[in-house]
Amino acid sequence: MWTWLKGPGKAFRSPLPGSTNYLSAYDKQGNLMRARRNDNKDKDRGDRSQPDENEDSIVQRELDEGLDDTQMEKNAVDRATQRVEKEEREERGGVPRERQKDLQPYPLNQSFRSQPVLSEELREQLYIQVTMFKHDLPSVAATFGVDIRRVAAVVRLKTIEKQWEADGKQFAKPYADAVLAMLPQTPFKPETAKPITPHEPINDLPVHPSTRQQIFYPASESRQFTREDAAKVFDNKLLPADQRIPLPMLVDLERWKLQGLSREDRQKKQKEKDDAVHTAAAESERRRVAWEQRTQRVVQGRRWDFKFQDISAEKVGKDGRGRDAVGYRYGMPHEDRKRGMVKIPTSVE
Amino acid sequence: MPRGSRYHGLKKIKVRQDWSKENLYNLSRLVTPPAANKTFFQQKWLAKSMTRAYHNPYVREGTWTRTFDRRLPAVVSMDHQYLARYDGSEMASGRGSGIEKHPRSDVEEDDRKGQKKGVDKTPYMHMTFYPLERRLDTAIWRALFASSAKQARQFVVHGWVKVNGKRMLYPGYQLNPGDMFQVEPERVMYATGARKRKANSAVSDQERREERGADEQGSRGAAKSREEKEMEEENELDEEESDAGAATLESDEEREAMSVKPEDEQDAKKAMKNLVARAKRILEDSKRKLSGKRQQELRAFAQSVRKTMSKHRGTEETSAAADDSIEEFETALAQIMTKIPEDAVAKDSTSAQQAATTADAITASSPSSASSNPQMQDPAKEDEYNARKDAALLHAALARARTNPIDASKPYATPWKPRDFMSAFAFIPRYLEVSQNICSAVYLRHPVARPGLAEVPTPFHGETLGLAFNWYLRRR
Repeated sequence: MWTWLKGPGKAFRSPLPGSTNYLSAYDKQGNLMRARRNDNKDKDRGDRSQPDENEDSIVQRELDEGLDDTQMEKNAVDRATQRVEKEEREERGGVPRERQKDLQPYPLNQSFRSQPVLSEELREQLYIQVTMFKHDLPSVAATFGVDIRRVAAVVRLKTIEKQWEADGKQFAKPYADAVLAMLPQTPFKPETAKPITPHEPINDLPVHPSTRQQIFYPASESRQFTREDAAKVFDNKLLPADQRIPLPMLVDLERWKLQGLSREDRQKKQKEKDDAVHTAAAESERRRVAWEQRTQRVVQGRRWDFKFQDISAEKVGKDGRGRDAVGYRYGMPHEDRKRGMVKIPTSVE
Repeated sequence: MPRGSRYHGLKKIKVRQDWSKENLYNLSRLVTPPAANKTFFQQKWLAKSMTRAYHNPYVREGTWTRTFDRRLPAVVSMDHQYLARYDGSEMASGRGSGIEKHPRSDVEEDDRKGQKKGVDKTPYMHMTFYPLERRLDTAIWRALFASSAKQARQFVVHGWVKVNGKRMLYPGYQLNPGDMFQVEPERVMYATGARKRKANSAVSDQERREERGADEQGSRGAAKSREEKEMEEENELDEEESDAGAATLESDEEREAMSVKPEDEQDAKKAMKNLVARAKRILEDSKRKLSGKRQQELRAFAQSVRKTMSKHRGTEETSAAADDSIEEFETALAQIMTKIPEDAVAKDSTSAQQAATTADAITASSPSSASSNPQMQDPAKEDEYNARKDAALLHAALARARTNPIDASKPYATPWKPRDFMSAFAFIPRYLEVSQNICSAVYLRHPVARPGLAEVPTPFHGETLGLAFNWYLRRR
């Protein structure tokens, strides 16, 4: 072991700057495999890139030359892209970018890869989009190619971060920097030609248990047998794939586009759909409040309000342990002290 | 887990959930056991024992067999454009499974792209142990907040972990999608940082090894003092970096030089030393521009840096003193910064800060590389440019020293740096969203398999996992 640690294992002691450092990226002798590959493309680009001139002076020169605005904008974007690329290269220190194979932390497991995490800039951007510009989560998720749940989680975590900052609590900054430097990241590069890199597939369809079986279902040739019908064959209650994905709105938008609707029409239709969803939510909320007022009697207390509601003692069922029932039946002992009863909470509010 | 068995045995390879060097070594030697001379039962038994040694052996076998689920979750990512274009009836055309593409053209296309043909299979067997990923202690370890699953368990039991803002003492708590868990940042820094050599000093035990390595490599005389040696090393590093900028890294030495670099920058002691050197350089470069008074100020600044360094080299190192000195430098630097032409600083500050973060910061600021810049041909301009850049670099270095101070009272070596061999194990699976700054993470959803990719991190081949899955299938 010590020979290995001094020889091939030496590379893993400290992280590789600007890159991941997994077992699969090295050969048996401990050489970085991708470093051997002569990356001519990288070098060429390095030669082509301009020396870092001052941005203002370039703009001034372009003004003198009399370029029009669109051309200047395009040039500025090109320069920004080149600058970012150059920085990236410098950070990697001449080592080529990782291939898919280099991102396997476990050499035997071909089906597991270290997938990129959100970079700090992208997280900040997501937070700004949701809190400052008040965009709804699905549209932010679709724009940035990030799962809706992840967007929500980022906003939640960022909110706490801001709170900590306001409270003057100490961040684990050195830890965060070091860890993020070891992980592949999804970048966000504003002002470049391609600012957004999709982070993950956003329309994941869960494999429903009832679709796991193979069914032989004869249908006439003349029949238009659609996804909806197929779903019915698997299970009567199963919805088709277009409705089970997290962002069905994207399918609708695309469909309207294919129908040849103009942009305004599409936006109008989308707005109608959104409004319908909102009104439905409002309606259910209204109904809930009405139910509460109908069934619950509120008595104002000194510190708390007491709410009284009629319940049925019959709900406890035959064994007196009905799950929705209120209270416990007299004479029915609790089981929580019995051997083998797990008392770990199942959820935390 | 049977008592008395070697946790990191080198003869019987058992991969564990931790970041130790023994584990890394075992991982590098791990193979799928040959099945030719074994009965099916033996194969399954071996596979089971291998996988259970990794996937939380502290969960009792009975508990695990109860949580085991033969229905493994998977997803298929859908293309919304395809869904909009077709309603599914197109699959009835041809022979009943969609119109086939011409096989020849398919192959050609694949060859051109250099990709493998066909759809990836969903690696269901890799998901065998997915219920264990729901456990709080495993999730903490997966989020890189602890150096082993066992340590994560300890954190939970000792009350350093909160779930949704409430303290949770059960390591076996099954996280629900949307649960947020927080670990005390100090504990995380302790778990993932380098260890201290002695209880009352902030120096890490990794440093001694580095020194030893340097001694073995170099042919420097023993008469030279340690300080001189360090200075020399630094200079060498600088030189090597400037060479290694574009070159490919082939030998070990070069790579080591590259990898050692950022640590040096993090090391506050060496950073301070760098400061002195840079202050000197500022003086030399811009002698003509700066007035005598400002030169004196800069010199005094450099001296104060050196003095505090020598003060802190002693055995008694107090955090407060280090903090104070760094703050003093900050103010001193701020004063100097105001005296350097302001418009120039404002213009260049952002790019210089970016440069400071890159590894090649020093090469970029050195006169040789700056002179390759056509804008900076004018010597006077060059001086000004360098002065500005150096000031910004100093500023960045000080900021870093402030966020990562030397503090002997901490339970880990300071300035903080990641523990050895961490990078080989550093990955965060997609079912977690982690915020490293506040050491919190959200458990987004249960892990799933998708075509070609399984989200449960496991070091074993699909074959081994399939056998293990079969083992647990037996009883139900």
